[in-house]
Amino acid sequence: MGHRSSFFNSDGSATPYRFFSPWPLFLLFILLTATCRAEDRGPFPDVDPNDPASLQEVTRVLQEEVKLAARPHTYLLIDLVTRTIHIKGRGLDLYRIPIVAWSMKAPSAVHGTHRLIARPPIARRTVDPTVSIEQVPLSLADMPTAYTLSFTPTLTIEVRPSDEEDLFRRLWAGTKTWWRSLNEWVSSFSGGEPSDPRPALLLELSREQAQSLAWSAVDGMPLVIRRTTDKK
Amino acid sequence: MNSVAAYRFVVCSSLFLGGLLSAKPLTLSQSSDSVAPTPPSSVLSSADSKSGSLPSLSTLQARYKTLSKQLSRLKPQEPYILVDTARNHLYLKQRDDVLLDALASTGSGTILPKPGGTTDQWVFDTPRGEFFVQSKLLNPAWVKPDWAFIEEGLEVPRNQADRVEQGVLGAYALGFGKGYFIHGTLYTRLLGKNVTHGCIRLNDDDLKSVYRVARVGTPIIIF
Repeated sequence: MGHRSSFFNSDGSATPYRFFSPWPLFLLFILLTATCRAEDRGPFPDVDPNDPASLQEVTRVLQEEVKLAARPHTYLLIDLVTRTIHIKGRGLDLYRIPIVAWSMKAPSAVHGTHRLIARPPIARRTVDPTVSIEQVPLSLADMPTAYTLSFTPTLTIEVRPSDEEDLFRRLWAGTKTWWRSLNEWVSSFSGGEPSDPRPALLLELSREQAQSLAWSAVDGMPLVIRRTTDKK
Repeated sequence: MNSVAAYRFVVCSSLFLGGLLSAKPLTLSQSSDSVAPTPPSSVLSSADSKSGSLPSLSTLQARYKTLSKQLSRLKPQEPYILVDTARNHLYLKQRDDVLLDALASTGSGTILPKPGGTTDQWVFDTPRGEFFVQSKLLNPAWVKPDWAFIEEGLEVPRNQADRVEQGVLGAYALGFGKGYFIHGTLYTRLLGKNVTHGCIRLNDDDLKSVYRVARVGTPIIIF
């Protein structure tokens, strides 16, 4: 009876406000706050909020992305920090391609949005009305695994399969890179002035993901790159 | 009286704690805010490079927060349709939640030369980008375009009525412009392959689900 007295009056009637325990409200508030907190981290949850260089870079990327997401097209966001290529539209992540390895030349020359000049060439099959057998359609397997994407303003992205076993192809790719560097070095001497830095990005992707990127790329597709910062 | 006081205490303390929690992660510690470290030149924007200064940490944090909100507001709030043409899947999504994952058939990517000896040709790709549901049709009839006859080596009929074919598009169709539709198919064994002339095919059950949820204006994002 004495125990009941904390919930009931002496006449046995209930005291209404005593049933309004504030604890559920408190817990609900904490839960909501925690949820909001998780969302507060924004589209780059890995960014260190106390590192000005990282913040400067992600805000630069975000500024570009807000402009791109306002238009009805898909675009690419290459995040070199998290090693991911995002195919995006309206700010939504449509598909993610993991990057196995990358290297970049003249990253400071990368500004704003770049646009793909042309997608990798595809050998399309022609329908022959005189042939009655089923025509073979194009598929992801028809896409190239090694190709170069050219953008404007000047940016070149070279895509290579990460498991390239063909020694000749590896040597050929290495020779091309070396030749390009040599050319730029020579032209910087002959011109008398240092040549404009031409940014170039080398991406190593799995074969399937290299084909995915080639498939999803469309002429004029915008691209934004999040670069790494030289922190630590 | 005591319980009212206890209630007030809990509400006040929860506000205080909530404030503390929500203040992170972008609120700055005083020490880090007061220091303006020199950033690596590789991450400076052109404007900042010219001025040689980096905005303060609090300015950057506020800018990041604002831009994140702006980007979030651009995302579709209501259900939308996402089509992956490489893997031939159609997803019905709301934010990041997948409401439906359906096997689909999309454009074959093949080409068909136009008659008359010109260099013109039809390219059977599913268009990429963002579109909207423009029409919802029940028991749609297919009005066969020229290429449907030419592809089969047939003559293009002059009479419009000879182009109409019933029952090949399933029970529903959702138009998204320029003659492209999400519709049903008789060839369900080909779902998961790139075999269409640009339209998106689904099986009957998935088509019904999409038809029920989508309304005119629902976004369709194709990549």
